[in-house]
Amino acid sequence: MKLAQTVLLGLLTGGVYALLASGLTLVFGVMRIINVAQGALLILAALFTFEIWRRTGLDPLLAIVVTTPLMFGIGWLLYRGLLARVRAAPEAMTVLLTFALAIAIEGFMGLIWRNVFRSVTPSYFASSFHVGGLFLPKGLAAGCVTAVVVLGLLYLALTRTWTGRAIRAAAENVQGAQLVGVSVVDVAAVTFAIGIATTGAGGSILSILQPFFPASHYVWISKLLGIIVLGGMGSLPGAVIGALLLGVAENVTSAYVSPRWSLVVFYVVIMVVLLVRPQGIAGSRLREDVAA
Amino acid sequence: MTPAGAAVAERAGGRSGVPRWLRPAVITAGVLVLVLAPLGFTENTYIQTVLILTLLLVVSSSGWNIISGFAGYVSLGQGAFIGVGAYTVGILSRHTDVSPFVLAPLGGVAAAALAAVLGLVAMRARGHAFVIITIAFLFLMQTLALNLQSITGGSAGITLPLPTWSRDIGELPFYYAMLALAVLSVALAAWIRRSKLGAGLLAIREDEGKATAIGIRTPAYKLIGFVVSAVLIGIAGGIDGYFLTFIDPRGMFDILISVQIVLAALLGGRGTIWGPVLGAFLLQPLSEVVNNYFGTRLGIRLLVFGGLLALVVMLMPAGIIPTIRTAVRRWRERGSVVPFIEQPVRRAKPAAAAPPEEPAVPALAVRVSDREPVAERPPLLEIQGLSKRFGGLTALDGCSFSVREGTITGLIGPNGSGKTTVFNLVTGIVPGAGGQVRFDSRRIDQLRPWERPALGIGRTFQITRLFKQLTVLENVVAPLSHFSLRHLASGGTSGAEAARARELLDLVGLGAFGDRTAGTLSFGQQKLVELAQVLMLEPKLIMLDEPAGGVNPSLIEHLADLIRQLNRDGISFLVVEHNMPLVLQLCDPVVVLAAGRCIAQGPPQAIQRDPEVLGAYLGGDGSATQGLPEGSGAPQGGAPVGRGGPGNPRGVPR
Repeated sequence: MKLAQTVLLGLLTGGVYALLASGLTLVFGVMRIINVAQGALLILAALFTFEIWRRTGLDPLLAIVVTTPLMFGIGWLLYRGLLARVRAAPEAMTVLLTFALAIAIEGFMGLIWRNVFRSVTPSYFASSFHVGGLFLPKGLAAGCVTAVVVLGLLYLALTRTWTGRAIRAAAENVQGAQLVGVSVVDVAAVTFAIGIATTGAGGSILSILQPFFPASHYVWISKLLGIIVLGGMGSLPGAVIGALLLGVAENVTSAYVSPRWSLVVFYVVIMVVLLVRPQGIAGSRLREDVAA
Repeated sequence: MTPAGAAVAERAGGRSGVPRWLRPAVITAGVLVLVLAPLGFTENTYIQTVLILTLLLVVSSSGWNIISGFAGYVSLGQGAFIGVGAYTVGILSRHTDVSPFVLAPLGGVAAAALAAVLGLVAMRARGHAFVIITIAFLFLMQTLALNLQSITGGSAGITLPLPTWSRDIGELPFYYAMLALAVLSVALAAWIRRSKLGAGLLAIREDEGKATAIGIRTPAYKLIGFVVSAVLIGIAGGIDGYFLTFIDPRGMFDILISVQIVLAALLGGRGTIWGPVLGAFLLQPLSEVVNNYFGTRLGIRLLVFGGLLALVVMLMPAGIIPTIRTAVRRWRERGSVVPFIEQPVRRAKPAAAAPPEEPAVPALAVRVSDREPVAERPPLLEIQGLSKRFGGLTALDGCSFSVREGTITGLIGPNGSGKTTVFNLVTGIVPGAGGQVRFDSRRIDQLRPWERPALGIGRTFQITRLFKQLTVLENVVAPLSHFSLRHLASGGTSGAEAARARELLDLVGLGAFGDRTAGTLSFGQQKLVELAQVLMLEPKLIMLDEPAGGVNPSLIEHLADLIRQLNRDGISFLVVEHNMPLVLQLCDPVVVLAAGRCIAQGPPQAIQRDPEVLGAYLGGDGSATQGLPEGSGAPQGGAPVGRGGPGNPRGVPR
């Protein structure tokens, strides 16, 4: 029973992780950028949700309709204002820029919200459903459902709209996409904005699940990197699989070893996967990777 | 650099017979010692502390510069090695009474060992994986330091023994220990920059695939580079821990340390020797100022360093030193016309003078070569049933042919017929094909890509792939035909190899361009440099991918002469070329590919009239009676019709 309960909680957590990791893997797939600032933006969105909830009492899961467009706009501005400027530079410079952003955003959050733990606590926050001897925390259940819905909408947007198909085309083959009339710069801006927009919904959901403070973003970027490395960098289905697996692994480690070691699971997964199977579960092996 | 320092180093160099390429390292060390040694004698312990922290940053940043500046693999967790060193010393000093100064080198050993393990993980993949691994490593170390309480003391940290020396000398021993390490770091960087190892690391940064193609064993280079970049940081970390007398997970594995390391190197000049030094001396005082003004408000520190890093990346990515260098050069050259890079007229040496009938031939006139039959020479390169698919696209479909010793074999075919794929499979840049490749009777299709050049296979690329930021000479010296640690440590552009490289540059007619940056040469000149680079490997076979494509016609003639001359010296060639007149006058035999198969093979006259070849090029039914067009360049495209038997090359009757 304990195992069933642990796995259930792991799968629910994994559902949320899938949404959080989707933006990171999407941006990598299209732009070959590891956005180290993804975790910091996630915490920023959670703090926005906190602020909205504190001031208006709006349910954090409804705040998504505010935070998602807000983060989309921030993502678009970051790309147009900063990242687009280093497009021609070596990839290393782009990584360093997102690293710098992560640090600066952490500093910004520290100044505005101070370095204290925050959490959003709506009325259902501490209660649970009970189903056949298993308990389902209401916050986690609602968060997981919301995450799945948002992820589904993202999937529809990527497969059913022209912009979505352009994004996938650019991920597949940049030159080919250009040949059929896709402006790769515009697609990159939209992709980055969508990638950051997922932190809006993700941050709002996160805000009711765990307490957070500015420096939590290191924990989150580590988790997200573990997920997309396991799933295969750039693959959306891979991110979902990786998220579910690691959600379960994290909860099992917490329950059977110690919560203090649960984060180590992610680090170990990163090391082992990159050593044994660098392309992850669902990733494709890049031609440039094989020569090394 | 002070004249005194230079003089001292010069004398030291002269007397002890320090090789020329080592002198920059000696001079560098001398200057640093002369400038910094007296500074420690300040009464003010605050200034001493700031200096010690600055020197720690010099050590760390110089280390980072080796893997991330030279080799281009960005480490975001380099600060973790400081923590590793400090914890090694801290943990050991709990159990022994030995001075932490004696233990500090063990911190370096621990850092090097961890770097080697990480390196094994990272070296299988490219830059992205390395970035992720270094971040994960930093946080993993922090978590371990927190969780392994019985060993590390957990969040309570470790208190190290207090210094045993008299208070009168303050922090002097720390200062001089750190100074020694800083000098060592900078000298090490200067030495590596001039060594084979450094040349290889720079080659990896510029173009890793190309580095492999000229025989550089890239995984080993990256691994060694990473270990070297970590070891001195580990030692410095041990001394830092002793200096602080208290270490804890949050302080020792603070990501802000890694940010400062990256920022110092970037600000001063990534990939330069003095960049990290300058960066550290700018950044550490700034850090102190920020601390004094804003106290412990972490947010401000993060904003300042994060913002500064973003600004440097966007506005001055080259860093201060390279930017100033460029500005000074521009200022000196102001008003003067940039010299036109002209192909120097090559005077053929009397001994190697071309046969009388050749120089008069205009490059574009069709003239079928009339040399001895080649059918009976032994095969040098044998390709049997080679197949390769890229997803749904079949690039090669059971292609077989051979290159006989001493020939200049032409490889032609419509676009997309698989010519470049043949090259990529023979050199191993693209793996996983069906069929066999033999070279000198030895099967090579299972060998690693960097092992093949050593057997005597060289190749050039359709679009030249020189290391554009290195000099022409450094490019030519870069190829490695064997791998050994001793070899790595030797000078990159000195000694017998450099002399040989200059000879080869003279041979291709670019002797005057040795010190130019490769990227400033014309495309045709770059092709010649690439040829010289390949010759450095002393190959038996050179594979040229469209040597005449995009090249000035006057250079094409020069190139053809050169190929003939090298061929007379015993080198075989496999040439992919679309310039049909050049193929017809240069090559014998000619192999024709279409749709991934070899459809014809034979002397150029026969190929020129072969109906199947014409069909493949023109998309006709093979009944066309006219010969191949004689203008420059063959018609391209058309539906390739491969009608040769599968995997069964058809010799054209002579």
